[in-house]
Amino acid sequence: MDVAAPPLLAFRSVCKRYGATTALDDVSFELQPAEVCGLLGENGAGKSTLVKVLSGVVAPDTGTIRIDGKPFLPRVIADARARRVSTAFQELSLVPALSVAVNLFLPRPAINRFGLVSTRRIEADAEQVLQQHGVTDISPSALVGDLPLGMRQKVEIVRAFSHRPAVLLLDEPTAALSDRQWLFSLIARALRDRTSILYISHKLDEIRALCSRCVILRNGRKVLDSEVAALSDDAIFSSMAGRSVGEVFVRASTEIRRGAKPVLEVTHLKGSGIDDIGFSVAPGEIVGVAGLEGQGQSRLFKALVGLSPLQTGAIAIEGVTVAIRSPRAARRLGVILVPEERKSEGLFTGLTTMANISLPVINQASRLHLVNQASERRLVETVTPAVKLPERYLRLSISALSGGNQQKAILARALLAGAKCLLLFDPTRGVDVGAKQHIYAMMRGFVRGGGAILFYSTELDELVGLCDRCLVLYRGAIAGELARAELSQDVILALASGHSGGRTRRANPRAHA
Amino acid sequence: MRMRKARALPRAKVVPEAPPVWRPAVGPDLVPALLVFAATGLLVVGMMLASPSFGSFDQLTAILVTAIFLVVASFGQGLVILLGGIDLSLGVVIGIGGMMVAGLTRGSNDALMSAIPLTLLSCAGIGLINGIGVGLAKLPPFITTLSSGITFFGVALGITAGSSQQPVAPALQTFMNSGWLGLPYPILFTVAFVAAAWLFQNRSAEGRKLYAIGSSPGAARVLGLPVAALTIAAYAISGLCAGLTGILLAGYAASATLDMGSALLMPSIAAVVIGGARVTGGSGPYLGTFAGALFLSTLSTVITALSFSQGLRDIVQGGIILIALLLQSGRLNLRHHRWRWAHHQQGGGLT
Amino acid sequence: MTAASQLAQVRSVAAGGSAAAFVLLCIMTGIYAVHEPSALSAFGISNLLNNTVVLALAASGLTLVVLCGELDLSGPGVMAIGNVVVATTSTGSLGATGNLAAVLAIGAAVGGLNGFLVAYLGLQSLAVSLGSLIVCQGVALLILPAPGGEVTDTIVQAVSGDIRAIPAPALIMAVTAGLWLLLKHSRLGVALYAVGADEPSARLSGLNTRTTKLSAFVMSGIVYAIAGFVLSAEIGSGDPRVSDSFLLFMYAAVAIGGTSLGGGRGGVLGTLVGACILSVLQKMLFALGVADFYTNIFNGVIMILAIFFGQLSAWLARARHRGQG
Repeated sequence: MDVAAPPLLAFRSVCKRYGATTALDDVSFELQPAEVCGLLGENGAGKSTLVKVLSGVVAPDTGTIRIDGKPFLPRVIADARARRVSTAFQELSLVPALSVAVNLFLPRPAINRFGLVSTRRIEADAEQVLQQHGVTDISPSALVGDLPLGMRQKVEIVRAFSHRPAVLLLDEPTAALSDRQWLFSLIARALRDRTSILYISHKLDEIRALCSRCVILRNGRKVLDSEVAALSDDAIFSSMAGRSVGEVFVRASTEIRRGAKPVLEVTHLKGSGIDDIGFSVAPGEIVGVAGLEGQGQSRLFKALVGLSPLQTGAIAIEGVTVAIRSPRAARRLGVILVPEERKSEGLFTGLTTMANISLPVINQASRLHLVNQASERRLVETVTPAVKLPERYLRLSISALSGGNQQKAILARALLAGAKCLLLFDPTRGVDVGAKQHIYAMMRGFVRGGGAILFYSTELDELVGLCDRCLVLYRGAIAGELARAELSQDVILALASGHSGGRTRRANPRAHA
Repeated sequence: MRMRKARALPRAKVVPEAPPVWRPAVGPDLVPALLVFAATGLLVVGMMLASPSFGSFDQLTAILVTAIFLVVASFGQGLVILLGGIDLSLGVVIGIGGMMVAGLTRGSNDALMSAIPLTLLSCAGIGLINGIGVGLAKLPPFITTLSSGITFFGVALGITAGSSQQPVAPALQTFMNSGWLGLPYPILFTVAFVAAAWLFQNRSAEGRKLYAIGSSPGAARVLGLPVAALTIAAYAISGLCAGLTGILLAGYAASATLDMGSALLMPSIAAVVIGGARVTGGSGPYLGTFAGALFLSTLSTVITALSFSQGLRDIVQGGIILIALLLQSGRLNLRHHRWRWAHHQQGGGLT
Repeated sequence: MTAASQLAQVRSVAAGGSAAAFVLLCIMTGIYAVHEPSALSAFGISNLLNNTVVLALAASGLTLVVLCGELDLSGPGVMAIGNVVVATTSTGSLGATGNLAAVLAIGAAVGGLNGFLVAYLGLQSLAVSLGSLIVCQGVALLILPAPGGEVTDTIVQAVSGDIRAIPAPALIMAVTAGLWLLLKHSRLGVALYAVGADEPSARLSGLNTRTTKLSAFVMSGIVYAIAGFVLSAEIGSGDPRVSDSFLLFMYAAVAIGGTSLGGGRGGVLGTLVGACILSVLQKMLFALGVADFYTNIFNGVIMILAIFFGQLSAWLARARHRGQG
């Protein structure tokens, strides 16, 4: 690397605030030509904001960015593309109703001499582009919406590479991929073309394999910027989390009540995306669920509250077989789902935090159907200590809160609604480090009181650190069930990828989350 | 549902977090409503300056009396809009309400005690059908209510052969044209209605749930709120209010025609929008709807007093809607810069 | 061909329900023809087309806006202004083409205003178009307070007569269909669908959603204006309130034709079929001897059913998609 040459990309003192939250706080770093730099950080550390700023989706409040020494101030995607900055977004940016070919060439699909987009021509071109990037199993005429998530991610990645950019941003590109080698070879080829890559991932093994340098963000600030080889895993982890591995998950003694009826027992569940699942959760137990994207976990959780149809199978709550046809029925039985998409399925953005928490039991705080604000407050304050939600946030609109506090509010709501069995789906996604600790504490407190938790997480160390048992899903069925003693990230990952070690299941290619 | 006590947990040290943003004394959600009230006041004052006879007590009370129709109609429309829907059958149902009460009483007071409930029930029934279409069959509200309006218009036309109904029961006429202790009955009625409407929309548990469903239908589904039931109820109430408006109109005008409500449809939507509610649902206090209704009624009276032609009236009305929208969006941007995140005070306490 | 691409082929043939609409049209025309022998004659078809063309044009304009995910109530208002402008000035010095140009300019201006407020200021399209509808109705009343005025014979003949033995309305609809196909396969057409289907993704893919929406509104304004122009020729005079009843039928035609009111699916071809269905519906009811004041009821009920039917394919598609995860 030529040290004297100016950096390809210079990011200086960039700040970005969203209301009460500071997403980026005086962040600076540089990218040299033809290098892969990793960008690491917990959920909510600021990685996606940084990507958005570089891609032209949002404008920073302060700071400067230079490419090749010249100022770079993109206001729209087109500006970024014009300066040869290309992005493969984590939340895919493909239009599902359009075909792969059209998506690949948006916003300017090729036109023929009449000025019309020729389907045949762009599909032929798309076929070429896909092949050039080593993709042979996706048809250019297929609608993106019909493709499974893994293939969609491939299209998103191919599109970003196909622009032959100077700076390439890959945001969690392997989240849904089953074949990572394909991506790694594309990266190698791009490096030979003098592309610089900013590689965002939380998978340390990938960072080590690909990146020469890495930048670590925590709470919006850059806390580390160094050669990857010089850092130990523990150094990386502690920079990301702000504390050492051992501190994060204090293994408490087990709270499981022996001999009591299981709070939730599920036998031979079959439905769309679910293939013969059976397990039970005892009072005081935290059962984890692990799995790669789209292996049936979302369907399972939704089915348990009646949001996803079941064909056969039985669900029993505290020993009594029940039919759960709707979330309302589930709630009456004490089964409450804390959903995956906070913004669209968890929060009531128009209401205050207090109103969000009290909603399921609002009738109890009402006399003659008129809400009594004092009773409402009393009700809500019985649960806010459990999640450590400061009471001065109660009067604010919930959209003013940070992701972590929003999640706490949703959990408080579940507690207030009388949960016996909490179904938590990736509850710490987009949640800052401090809030995560509070959520873990709440979970432990909940089970200590006799509740049960079924808990899906994409962070393996959470599963290892919190669960009494862990179920690993693969293709809609349980690939393995690990007791606490056997729990480790490697074993979970192996089972989740379909390598046996547990029970083998027949392949079910139509199963999706 | 029995409430379970939350488990007692050891109190931990509260970690200091970023301080919340400064909040103004009045919930920002009320600002559009207050501005509209102010605009109404300016309008009246302006008219009084321009033509001194305008400011008489009789004149002012006349304005308030005629406001009753839009106030009642826009409440129902406001509830439906709160859910992210719309009721385009409102005009027709108003006409049906008026025709029905007139036709059932035929100029005498005898049948009034049964005619009014029957009329209200029928009109609520039309709303119920709308609600079933939108809430259960998940049809788009726009087309559903527009089509049901046309359908029921046809039914009513078939039954009445298009004639107007008169005379109307005298008691009804007296109610609309006389008063108690110097204040006309309609104004007293309006006060009571506004109080009840406000209590329902902004203070009741069901009202809270309507706001929740309107602002986040996905979350409402996951939480298990009774979305279908509340949707049906909102449309039924809208039908009920439309029927009530028809009854009041029939009393006021001493006759009823099938299309007497059509002039109130667009203003009912406009009143809700001007008051600060978003057509996509989930926001807007009742006070805003009331302010919008009051403003538009006053505007209508002023325009009549100024002898504007119909064309000019329409231009002014349409222009007002556009100006109100512009001001709202301007304020939203302003809020974003000065107060950062908007504090919607629904259920929070200050509304 | 992979399974996914085969699926795409089937999907595009089903074309968001417009095939279903076409089938419905054939059935209804059949019923109509059975009861009214002259239905399928040259005169019968020409008459039908005359009745349909205004609605077909207006609904086509609306389709463009609905496709990109917005709503528009202002169509009848622009038509009214177009109508009264022609009726009051056609016998004057502008001449037929001058008239047309003036009317088009007005339509583009109204569309441009709507588009600007919605796309650049982010205002809600339902509310904005409600406001502009009322303003346009007012302007039309100012120009011509009561029905009257006169439309010159040149215009009347040009629009409702025959051009080389082909009825002009048929040509107009054919040209509309042709222009639509050109638009659909242009970059702007692709952008319309993308923005309507998934606006955030469209923006992240580099599309300029603002200019796309603005273009949709301006184009629809121009088409509404043409509809108003043709309307003047049809009725031969001006009437500021004649277009009031169009709103429901415009939306019905769009929805029956299979265009999703949420945007991103459908097209003008389906809308044209939808407009024809509504015309044939009126004729069919008349031929079946349904009394005049019952037509309203039938209109309402059949419209709901047809819309249900037209949107059904959307549900089927979504349900199937959900099944695949």
